[in-house]
Formats: sequence, structure tokens, C-alpha cells
Amino acid sequence: MAKQLRIALAGNANVGKSAIFNQLTGLNQIIGNWPGKTVERAEGTLHFKGYTIRVIDLPGIYSLSTFSMEEIVSRDYIAVERPDIIINVIDSSALERNLYFTLQLLELDAPMIIALNQVDFAAKKGMRIDVEKLSEALGVPVVPTVAISGMGISELLAKAIEVAEAKLSAKPLKVQYGSEIEKRIHVLEEIVKAKLAQFCMLYPARWIAIKLLERDVDVAGRLKNYESGKEVLDYAEKSASELESIHGETSPVIIASERYGLASKIAKAVTTIEVPPKISLEQKLDTLTTHKVFGYPILAIVLASMFALIFSGGGFISSSLEYSFGILKGYIESSLSLFLPQYAVDIIDNGLLSGIVAGITIALPYIVPFYILLALLEDSGYLPRAAFLMDSLMHKIGLHGKAFIPLVLGYGCNVPACIGCRIMETERERFLAAFAVVLIPCAARTVVILGLVGRFIGFHVALALYIFDLIFVFVLGRVAFKVLPGEPVGLIMEMPPYKRPVVKNVLVKTWSRTKDFIYIAFPIIIAGSIILEALRLSGFTNYIISAANPLMSGWLGLPAVTSVPLIFGILRKELTLILLSELIPLESLTAVQMIVFSLVIMLYVPCIATIAACKREFGWKKALTITFIDVALALLIGGIAYRLLSLTMQ
Amino acid sequence: MRFRNRQNFTNRKELLNEEVAPLTNLCEGQKGIVIKALGGFGLVRRLAEMGLTPGVEVKLLRRCPFRGPLEVEVRGVALALGYGVASKVFVKPLRTESDG
Repeated sequence: MAKQLRIALAGNANVGKSAIFNQLTGLNQIIGNWPGKTVERAEGTLHFKGYTIRVIDLPGIYSLSTFSMEEIVSRDYIAVERPDIIINVIDSSALERNLYFTLQLLELDAPMIIALNQVDFAAKKGMRIDVEKLSEALGVPVVPTVAISGMGISELLAKAIEVAEAKLSAKPLKVQYGSEIEKRIHVLEEIVKAKLAQFCMLYPARWIAIKLLERDVDVAGRLKNYESGKEVLDYAEKSASELESIHGETSPVIIASERYGLASKIAKAVTTIEVPPKISLEQKLDTLTTHKVFGYPILAIVLASMFALIFSGGGFISSSLEYSFGILKGYIESSLSLFLPQYAVDIIDNGLLSGIVAGITIALPYIVPFYILLALLEDSGYLPRAAFLMDSLMHKIGLHGKAFIPLVLGYGCNVPACIGCRIMETERERFLAAFAVVLIPCAARTVVILGLVGRFIGFHVALALYIFDLIFVFVLGRVAFKVLPGEPVGLIMEMPPYKRPVVKNVLVKTWSRTKDFIYIAFPIIIAGSIILEALRLSGFTNYIISAANPLMSGWLGLPAVTSVPLIFGILRKELTLILLSELIPLESLTAVQMIVFSLVIMLYVPCIATIAACKREFGWKKALTITFIDVALALLIGGIAYRLLSLTMQ
Repeated sequence: MRFRNRQNFTNRKELLNEEVAPLTNLCEGQKGIVIKALGGFGLVRRLAEMGLTPGVEVKLLRRCPFRGPLEVEVRGVALALGYGVASKVFVKPLRTESDG
């Protein structure tokens, strides 16, 4: 049997950690969630030198405190699950900041090696890093790598195995603080050892002592489970206060400063600036795209051309797909009807098969290309710059620039966009962002809007609907921000330098987003399709039509039959147009009716799949709140629009 | 230097007397030394973790108009900070000089 080994990849965001992960595991990845957490967990396996190696890609973080769920997940995995070895991926062009994290990993006493990544990029910036010296300073092996080209990857693995087998005796650096801090750590460490023997089985005693001094909420909370926890906590509290009165800063800042001091010292000692960096093309691009005046039109052009490309190209692919599937469906239908009763054929044909076709004709032509382009923008470094530019606007709705990213994701499919709201820091921010995201017309809704309003009235009206939607999102977001209790969080975001995106990473990213559509939305689309067909066959839809009539014709001014596509649109949004055209000829609708219909489709809750995604992220209560608010608002706006438009357009 | 004494500055007023200014007052390209960040426990800690600790040199790279975000360089990394966040970071501005 092959020997087993577990490797964890840890490091800052934007250091090429995922690129190393992709190099190591190829497409052998399982991407899921950490148990009970809305934090993505990526795991893969590989075989090397007779070992079966499981690789866990820990979230990209800057610290091992308890600022975010990602940080807690990471440190618990390292301390409690104890991987055989940790590969700390660091960006050589930003050594100081990366070493800050490395020092914290060293404090956890875990066996580790360092992948000194992007050495090519550092060289381009005129920096050369002495690998030997760095390895000596940190007391752990260091392997220079260029993840995107695969350079150094097999050396990295070989080294990881050597350390795991303990063939390499590493003497990791012991992080030392100033004497006044060190004294307190030492006393606290002894107390922890004596009083919390059990807790010390999980984490190193010195680490616990440091965390207590740093007033770490998570560690402090766990002490409550121990008999003498309170006593230790009180002592830690006293020590921390003493430190704070010496330095005039809070204790986490004091300790962070000390760590950064050490990181800076090491970084300076191992780095030589060979040539003074000259202004590169990337820097010029950076200056232009974040320019206070030109940045905005550039952003508008980038987004507009992306949409134009997707929806004009997508329309073509979509219709040719539909055509070929139509022929295929015809064959299946005629062969099935030979031995199955008509209603069963209808269920399979109009329900199951139509559902599959609908899913594919949305995913392949629209969602996949959209996410490929978006991943390109993201990996090149443009998306963080767009987030930077949008920060002021996002603040108006109680969010910050980063929320721009899930909002744009929403134009593809709301399901991955809801999950994408995880990049926001607090629960409140995530919820606010999701609230705005579900109002963004996804590809399916765009198909309806373009196919109805765009086709029969004109593209400019469709565009007007989109602009109206943006204003609506803005106003509603602002209301939600005012209503929801809590303080808004400001933007603190790293701006990674511009880089050439790597095909493999772009594809992996696209897949991880598309899979949200495939795993969550796709089954629901198919099930919804089958239910719909069954209801149609049973004649149940007629009841719905008459029951919803007052609302439909009375309030919204739409033909009574439109209640069917509107209600069942919740199962499959893109289906609404097809359903509508089956019930009445689309040409028979007036322009006002088309606009009202599209408006309601655009605003009311996207689909069951999105509700499911919201439930996964925020729980039932919030998911249903979003649903209810959106439906009510869609009907309200629809009715108002009907009245206003009737006045002006007749 | 006076700011090295790390006195207990607790509010904006005291800080402003000490020849220091919020980060938002720097000009594009100007450098400053971080004296202190004021704000909630969590925010100050997070800023420290991202490298904005007392004593570190920052350079304002660019700013957006209308109280928009700022981009600064600290410890060799570019960071985007919202206006509100940046206005809580107090620096001692350095004279503008040719890269030194």
C-alpha cells in the first residue's frame, strides 16, 4: 500500500497559492465547504515517490488571528488536524508582509517548508532573494518556485517529503519579542502549562500565551470550558493591560508591530535590490485604469464590451444549441411514444428533457463564457481595481468596493454570486451584498428581457430597464443599509500588481463558479420543469390563472395567462418567455405589457436555486425575507410602472 | 524625535497637535510615518496586520475624488483603503523629496 501524507498549503491571498495547488493536483480537486462553515475548502490528491498525498488548500489569509472565519478555519486545521507538513507559499516580491504570516505559522510549531513563489516577478522588479540566507534565518527549508510555469514544484514536493519523514532536521526560528513582552509571555506560558494541560494538547503553550496576550476572542472563549480558565484569563488580561499602558497601543497592535519588525529585518537581510525598478508597462496600465477621471470610462467600456460579447455571441450559440437539441428531442419523443402513454412522454419530453436543454442552453453559451472573461479580469488584477473605483458608490449602500465583485458575478448567475458574497468581511455586509445581488438580472433574465423588450420594442428600452434596475438596486440597497443595524466596515484590500492570467487558474476558477450553477441550480431547473409539466397536464394551471387574475389584469394590466409564466418563473426564469409564447403570441402584448412583464421578471426573486443558495449562506429566515421583499417590490413596481407607462405611452 | 516616545494619544485633537495629520491629508506621491490608528479594536488590529503599524513608512499612491478610497504603499505592498478607514490612520508627513 502507498504511504499516505497530508500537505496543507497556507499563505496570503494573491501569492499564487492556488496556482501551486493546481500544479500539484491538476484537476483532481474536490471543492466543497469546511464543515459547518461558509468557507470554501479545496482538496486534491496526487501521487509522488510512492506516496499518496492529500493536499489541502487553506484559504488565503494575512494573519492567524480571529478576524475572519477563514483565519479560524486555517489555524484550527493546522493545530488540530495536524497535517504532516505545511507548505507556506510566499510572494517574493512582497517578502515583508508575507513573512509576517510565516512568523505566525512558526509559532504554531507545525512542520513546514516555504515555497518562495513568483521569484521571476521579484527579479523583474529588480529584487534578488538569497534563498540560503532566508532558509537559515527562518530555520526551515525554502524552495524557489514559479508556480505558473511549474518551476520548482517537484523540488518542493521532494523537500516536503524529506521534512515529513524527518530526514531534514529543521530548527525553526523561535520568534522573540521585546523583553517586556517576552517576560509576560513566559510567565503566562508557565501558568497555561500548569492550569490548562488539556488545552496544551491542542495548541503549543507559548502560542496560547501569545494569543491570550493579544486578547484573541476565540482562544479566550475556549478557556471558559476549563476549570481554571477564568483565572488564567484574568492574569492574561492584567498582563495585556500592563503592556498597553507601557506602549500606548492595544496589545494586538504591539505584538503585530514586533512581528513586523522581525519580518522586516529578515526581509531586508535577504533581499538585494539589483537594479532600481523602472516604470513598467504594468505600472502604466495601473495608473491609467485607476485614474480618477479615465478609470471610470475605461471600467464602463470593459464591462459593456464584455456584456456585448457574451450576449451577442451567446445568443447565436444558444439558438444553434436549441436547434440541435430540438431535433434530438424529436427523435426521443417519437421513439418513446411507441411504448409509453402520452402523459408520460409529455413529462419526459416537456419536463425532464426541456429542463436539461434549458440548463445547458443557459450555462454553455452565457454563464461559462461570462465567468471565463470575469476570471481573466480577476486574475489579471483588473477586478480589484474596479472594486477600488467603485468603493465610494458602494459606500452609499453600506458596502465597500469589494462588493462590486459579487454584483458583477450576479449578471452571470445569482447562485455563485450569492456564494461570492463571502468575500465581504462581516455577516451584515454579506447579507447586504446578497440582498443587492439577487436583484441583478442574471443571464436567464437577460435572455427574457432581450427576447421580449429588446426584440419587439427596441434595444434602447431594454437598456433603459437595466439602468432602472441599477438605480433600483442602489435605492433599495441604501434603504436596507439604513434599516439593518450595525456599523459599516471600511475597505481594506490588497491591490495585487497586474499580471498575465494563467489559463489553468482561469479555467479552475470558472469551473468552481459554474459548478455552483450545475450542482445547485441545474437539478432544481430539471425538477421544476417536471413539476410544471405535471401541473399543466393535470389542468391545475387553470386554477392558478383564475385565482391570480385580479392581480394580473387588475393590478399589473397583463393578460390573465401571464400568471403561469410569472409564478413558474420562480422555478426557471429563462422559461418564462417560452411559456408565455406557448400561451399567447408574444406579438399580441402591448409595449406597456412587455415592459411591465419584463420588469416583474427582473425584480422578483430570481429562482428557487438562488433562494437555496441564500439559505445555505444565511439560513431560512434571511433567505425568505429576501424572497418576500423582492416579490412584494416586483409587484408594487410592476403596478406603478403599468399606470405611469399607460399614461405616457398611449 | 518626539513621536518615538509613543505617548498615549487617545483622541484626534491631541494627535493633530503633534504635527501629524490623517493619511487623507497626504498628497499623491508623498510619504509619511504612521503614528497611530484610531478606531475600534478590530479595525486597528486589522490595519496592523496588513502592515500599518506605528513607525512604518507609507506612501500615498493615488486617491479617488469625492472622499473616495486611497491607495497606499506599505511594506512593499499596495493597499486600497476606504476614505473612512484612511482618515483614522494618523501619519507624520515627510517632506516631498526625490525618492529617498
